[in-house]
Amino acid sequence: MPEVFIDGKRYEYEGQPMLLQFILDQGLEVPFFCYHPSMSIPANCRQCMVKVGTPVKDRETGEFELDENGDRKIRWFPKPQTSCSTPLQDGMVVHTQETSEEIARAQKDNLEFILINHPLDCPICDQAGECPLQIQTYKYGPEGSRFEVKKVHKPKHVDLGPRVTLDAERCINCTRCVRFTEEISETNQLTIVDRGDSNYPTTAPGETFDDPYSMNTVDICPVGALTSTDFRFKARVWEMNQTPSIDITNGKGCNIDLWTRDNEVLRITPRQNEDVNDYWMPDAGRDAYKLFNENRVDRPSITLDENNQSNTSWNNAIETFAEVIEANDPSDITIVGSPHASVEENYVFNKFFNLLGVSNAKFTPHVIPGSGDGFLITDDQAPNTNGCRVINLDETDDGAIQSVVSDAKVVIILSDDLIGRDVLTSSDLESPYTISLATNISDTTKASDLVIPITCVAEHAASYVNVDGRIQRSYPAKETKYTNRRLNLEMSEGRLDRFGTNFDNWVSEENKVDCLPLWEFLNKLADRLGLEFEYNHSREIFTELSNSLDVLSNVSYDRMDEEKGVQLPIKQKEVKA
Amino acid sequence: MAQDWKSFEPLLIPDIPNLQKIDVYEENGGYDALKKIFNDQNTWSRKSVVEEVKQANIRGRGGAGFNAGLKWSFMPDPDGGPRYLACNGDESEPGTFKDRKIFEYNPHLFIEGALIAAYAMTIDTIYVYIRGEYISWVEMFQEAVNDAYEKGYLGENILGTDISIDLEVTYGAGAYICGEETAMLESLEGKRGYPRTKPPFPAQNGLWGRPTTINNIETLANVPLVINNGADWYGDIGAEEHPGPVLYGISGHVNRPGVYEYPTGVSVMDLINDVAGGIRGGKDLKALIPGGSSTPVLRADQLEGVTMNSDSLKDAGSMMGTAGMVVMDEDTDMVDVLWRIAHFYHHESCGQCTPCREGTGWLEKVLKKIKDGEGEMKDLDLLLDVGNQMEGRTICALADAAVWPVRHTINRFRDEFEARCKKSVHAVA
Repeated sequence: MPEVFIDGKRYEYEGQPMLLQFILDQGLEVPFFCYHPSMSIPANCRQCMVKVGTPVKDRETGEFELDENGDRKIRWFPKPQTSCSTPLQDGMVVHTQETSEEIARAQKDNLEFILINHPLDCPICDQAGECPLQIQTYKYGPEGSRFEVKKVHKPKHVDLGPRVTLDAERCINCTRCVRFTEEISETNQLTIVDRGDSNYPTTAPGETFDDPYSMNTVDICPVGALTSTDFRFKARVWEMNQTPSIDITNGKGCNIDLWTRDNEVLRITPRQNEDVNDYWMPDAGRDAYKLFNENRVDRPSITLDENNQSNTSWNNAIETFAEVIEANDPSDITIVGSPHASVEENYVFNKFFNLLGVSNAKFTPHVIPGSGDGFLITDDQAPNTNGCRVINLDETDDGAIQSVVSDAKVVIILSDDLIGRDVLTSSDLESPYTISLATNISDTTKASDLVIPITCVAEHAASYVNVDGRIQRSYPAKETKYTNRRLNLEMSEGRLDRFGTNFDNWVSEENKVDCLPLWEFLNKLADRLGLEFEYNHSREIFTELSNSLDVLSNVSYDRMDEEKGVQLPIKQKEVKA
Repeated sequence: MAQDWKSFEPLLIPDIPNLQKIDVYEENGGYDALKKIFNDQNTWSRKSVVEEVKQANIRGRGGAGFNAGLKWSFMPDPDGGPRYLACNGDESEPGTFKDRKIFEYNPHLFIEGALIAAYAMTIDTIYVYIRGEYISWVEMFQEAVNDAYEKGYLGENILGTDISIDLEVTYGAGAYICGEETAMLESLEGKRGYPRTKPPFPAQNGLWGRPTTINNIETLANVPLVINNGADWYGDIGAEEHPGPVLYGISGHVNRPGVYEYPTGVSVMDLINDVAGGIRGGKDLKALIPGGSSTPVLRADQLEGVTMNSDSLKDAGSMMGTAGMVVMDEDTDMVDVLWRIAHFYHHESCGQCTPCREGTGWLEKVLKKIKDGEGEMKDLDLLLDVGNQMEGRTICALADAAVWPVRHTINRFRDEFEARCKKSVHAVA
């Protein structure tokens, strides 16, 4: 197997890897800015320089030539090489900044260049805390600057588009953003204008950067030049908790991180998963954070007279729910599951009402044909259509749901705005007694007689099956009124968890929604109705499911954690995106 | 030198009225070399043309001086797909203005050379990239191309053979970097003029990813001379290791600035004194930039015995470049000169890679400070150090081209720079 020697240590390699990526794969470090593993290699930042030599071979015998000590003769490249663009060769000898003074100096020199026209405004720059330039400068940069002449001033606070703001002064011309629009989103909306130290990325005159993936450029910008217009100046990275989750705005199930502070989700960023979304996500998925904070169903509510919904106590809500069930024949009750709810929620929802003699839950997919783009935006508007199919919910079209609802005396709807998405009209829900188990206020909850607040994806652990048949899970990122992050071992721990006091904003009660996980509410309802139904965690629900369904056998939360989701043996033709 | 340069009759831009017209060109032996090859392809196989040019040792006239035939031999064997010849007429370096003479006075010589090159490398499309500011030469050259098409030297079945070659004229938008060969390819592809990282080299991966050879206009204009007269004849012109006629662009403080054709190896002082009429106003020579602004400046006292060929200039501490000689008299302010050169490179850096993008501006700003009398002694060492940080660390050679004038001008005229800097004040206890 071919070999390479990096800083005196021997490594074997396969294929034709590039040097920088190989170094990174070994857990070693070489600083860089412009390189991104998913995009072309421009080698323009010149930061990843290394010293490279190749062994001299005898042309006739093909043997390595040896020096007087018996070591291989090495022919060193005359200049430092950018490791990002250097393919490995058998026998190559590499010295990084760790073992070469020359390279350490070259990297320091390069950082001095990058910093001369870059405003040193780290205290106010939104990128502080997650700025590779800041990090590399601390690790490899010069102690000061010899630049004593006037800096270049480029445009500031430029709205490139509806979601991205440019501060051109900070741009180091790595061209990651431009290459993203050329190679990944393929809209070609960004380019570099002007020359030399005056250049910066922007759109063509009169054009706006409204690429549906525009905010990925904010993630990959190695400085604070491109910022999220929505998120700028809202929070610092070190104040927030970072919790892995799943994008619930369409069927792809992009892997994401939820960034929370003071129990609010402040931003959503993509989490790398090469089997699903690589490093990217659509802008629409980032807006979902508002769903977790705003317009929440907070405390149960009940409609006492025709148009007057009032909050009520949990006891009253449970009592009312139970009385409605007891007063009606199971055959007069229709339950509607949801592709917007998790596998666990749909399962317990179905199981609970089965125990009461209510027939199988129905659900209707939420698909808008033609709205997908063949990349990360799918026609399927819901995160768990395949999850509903996996647990064998009764899949019906919109018309069938309407007819079943109109025949029922009681309708119980799980997390689906059937009115808002034009499956039902308000008048369809006028005659049956309607109960909504919901996360957000919607046209459907407004038309309901009883609304039970349940936890959203940001508040519970749950799994979702995406359009490709991959099951992936979320983690709780936000506390509810009845949870505590210090007691919930699944919640991420941030700096404020460790060092915050009771006087910090972190423990404010104001942003906690008065809601329960569906299974916990059903536990209480079962208790009232005398049913044998009790779960202590969604993990128990999933274990039960995996023991009973072949398609989920060998799938567990642990395996989903380790493998960033698990591909289920679902035939692609069964997947209707 | 095999012959006296004074009796040399120009070959690239001979003094023949209306030579730019195709009929006149033909009357004077034009396209004979092409006919010689195309009508006798058994004798003149593609390989033998490459060999003849390689043997003649035509050194590239774009500045690098690489053997043109050897460069042609780097093209891979044809695989049936497109292959290109990209002709570089984007001369934009201060002091360099010789290709325009060919476009203006002898365009068909170049077209003929390009056709021979295309034949030799099995190329069917030639792109000619002309500096955007040369708009009138673009128009004149286009006329010549149209005439060549009309006469059947370009297009389908040239001279009744099964060889078809097209030539397209295109011009840049006025960016120096587009004269760098790979940036020119990007520009030809309709993209921003950013140099490409090498490898892969253009012969393997050029225009639209296909094999491409890039030659300078003057280089290709030499090719018909070699085919008509043979490599040995060509090798006898001028300096042994750097043969052939050269267009010397002489500018600066001389009485008769202009473009002059003489063999390589002419004494620098002969070119200044005899060809260009000596220093303006009878003044003394102070310095010479021999081959365009990026080539290291030489002091007058370094010019004794120096001739215009690569080896001699290298020994003297400079380079042949494009033979664009900038002559400076005794009154020249070298600080001003260097600042102006630095200003040019700062303005023209494409900004793609860090050391050049940031370094060229830094050099210019410090030089401006010195020029304005605000500089300090430490700034001179700073300039040299910044130059060291730039050289050899960029994708293309623009950073090197920006650094060499700074390094050599400061080193060779340091007293002038020191005199311009503020004296450091030291407190005495």
